[in-house]
Amino acid sequence: MRLNTAHGRLKTENSVRNVRIIPAGCGGNLWHALLQARRAGHNTAMSLFELEQVTHFYGSLCALKDVSLKVERGAVGLVGQNGAGKSTMLKILLGLMRPTAGRGQVMGHDIRGSGVALRARVGYMPEAEMTLPGLRGVEFVSLAGELSGMPRRQAMRRAHEVLSYLGLEEARYRRHEEYSVGMKQRLKLATALVHDPELLLLDEPTAGLDPDGRESMLELLGTLAGRHGKSLILSTHLLGDIDRVCESVIILERGQVVRVGRIEELRATYRGRYRLQWQGQAAQFLRDLESEGVQILADPGAPGDEALAIVPDGWSNRTFFALADNHKVVLRGLEPDHENLESLYHRVLKQE
Amino acid sequence: MAIELLGYRGWRGDLRSPWMACWPIVRSGLSLVLRRKIFWVLLALGLLNFLFTFAIIYIKAQLAVENPGFAKFLDSVKVTGTGEAYLDFMFAQGTVTMLLLAFAGSQLIGSDYHQGGLSFYLSRRMERRHYVSAKLLAIEAIVLLITTVPALVLYVEYGLLSNSLDYFRENPRILFGILGYGLIMAVVLSLLLAAIASWVPRAVPLVMTWSCIFILLPIVGEHMRNIRDNRIWRLLSLWRDLRTLGKWCFGSLNLERDEDRLAYWAAWIVPAVCLICLIVLVRKVRAVEVVR
Repeated sequence: MRLNTAHGRLKTENSVRNVRIIPAGCGGNLWHALLQARRAGHNTAMSLFELEQVTHFYGSLCALKDVSLKVERGAVGLVGQNGAGKSTMLKILLGLMRPTAGRGQVMGHDIRGSGVALRARVGYMPEAEMTLPGLRGVEFVSLAGELSGMPRRQAMRRAHEVLSYLGLEEARYRRHEEYSVGMKQRLKLATALVHDPELLLLDEPTAGLDPDGRESMLELLGTLAGRHGKSLILSTHLLGDIDRVCESVIILERGQVVRVGRIEELRATYRGRYRLQWQGQAAQFLRDLESEGVQILADPGAPGDEALAIVPDGWSNRTFFALADNHKVVLRGLEPDHENLESLYHRVLKQE
Repeated sequence: MAIELLGYRGWRGDLRSPWMACWPIVRSGLSLVLRRKIFWVLLALGLLNFLFTFAIIYIKAQLAVENPGFAKFLDSVKVTGTGEAYLDFMFAQGTVTMLLLAFAGSQLIGSDYHQGGLSFYLSRRMERRHYVSAKLLAIEAIVLLITTVPALVLYVEYGLLSNSLDYFRENPRILFGILGYGLIMAVVLSLLLAAIASWVPRAVPLVMTWSCIFILLPIVGEHMRNIRDNRIWRLLSLWRDLRTLGKWCFGSLNLERDEDRLAYWAAWIVPAVCLICLIVLVRKVRAVEVVR
């Protein structure tokens, strides 16, 4: 756990001394593994962030209204329309802004007044471009490390490591304003990662990337979250990105949280939907299905011999076949309708 | 190399106080400024004046015994080791600094506003006050490097080349004057430049605004003084106001003299300008959105 000392410094690991007591001959990898294990243990003990009735006003405009939620560690997607309150929430989570009302904590740090301590454990990758003209890639990342409190030499060494990890090894001595869009996105991620934060706040990380670049970035984020235990908060309009990387999602609408939870669990409410395909005159078959309590939805864009069926509780799929047989209809296809995040999002917004 | 082949390695260590983040900002700011050739040209201009004065002091000390006539001639160059001489030297160096800052402003401060540098800084482990302090320090470092440090070197040279070390004992006010005038110039110019560059971050408008303050306003002030026959208009020249405060630091202020009678006004105007600049700067920095 990190703690503030009297001199305003931060210890990144207060248990470092204990962990170092390992038998001679054990390499740094074991030491690191132990550290990771301790971190993992620590991670499960505390939620990523908790907000309690957080409200924020910009003048008379309410950006967040009574937001209360508790989010566990892992990869979390943050979605919402423009003006839904995503940026305000990110600012609060970064400790850049105090909410007008309410309270909360991010990894144990109070959201009111511990901005500096909080940002020691958080890496932020903004959507907007940020350049300091004239600096080389490695200097830029090293500067980010120093600004995060790292000593100069360590920051430089770490900048080389992170740039190599992100595949910018060969471009690190080039001026960063000359980088391509994809390289700039990676560079921004490098500045967020340089001080090895536990939480990464990523604002549109795939914006402007070509399909290959997007694929590569998502793979990288997936690796960071899955293999290296980083918690991610991914704010994006590309729901496919969240579907690909995140386990949980927060859906915001007009400053309020309309859904929060694991994506799979949210999808569970969508169970009982089937895509039906048939051959023959199905009018009577469909009417009989409706009389059995099945809701038949026309799927826009689907051919005339297809429909979505929402079945009631306790429904047995055998009934589909029995009814089809009664009306001499050949049932060509019957498969559960998997909802993607985009459909989920639109459904939730429609319900609200 | 493919990403998956390279392992991610964590980092462990002590993080330093956020105030220590000021130093990398100052260092990177100065290195950015010094990478431009025009700054080296202007620095060379400042160095030229310093080397010239340095040489005169040396030659004068060497020839004082051998050729008193020539030494007397050199006195006409006003390198006399008095407070007035240092004031003139720093004033001349200040003019070079002013030129340099006009070009450095957009590089040092302005780019932070229109190229996202400020968001980069503020999303790190630091507050807005750390950023403002660091940027002011960077500008102050340039001002002190061109005005105060050379003046101190000349002071030491003059003292060491005199027959005894009495020069240092007899002229402590000169040391105070050099440090005081240098500090006043550094603080005022840094605040003014940071405030202006936050409003007009691009190079050309910044140079124009800077020129208006240090060239146009004094001209307007002089004209108004002639038209209205009121010397108070001279206060429009901030450069003159700074010099007046510099005179006070060196102890050469003479309220009997016409040009020094506005000293009290200058003593109010300069802090007022600083305060306004600070308010403008803080408001501007506070208005920057890190998350957009």
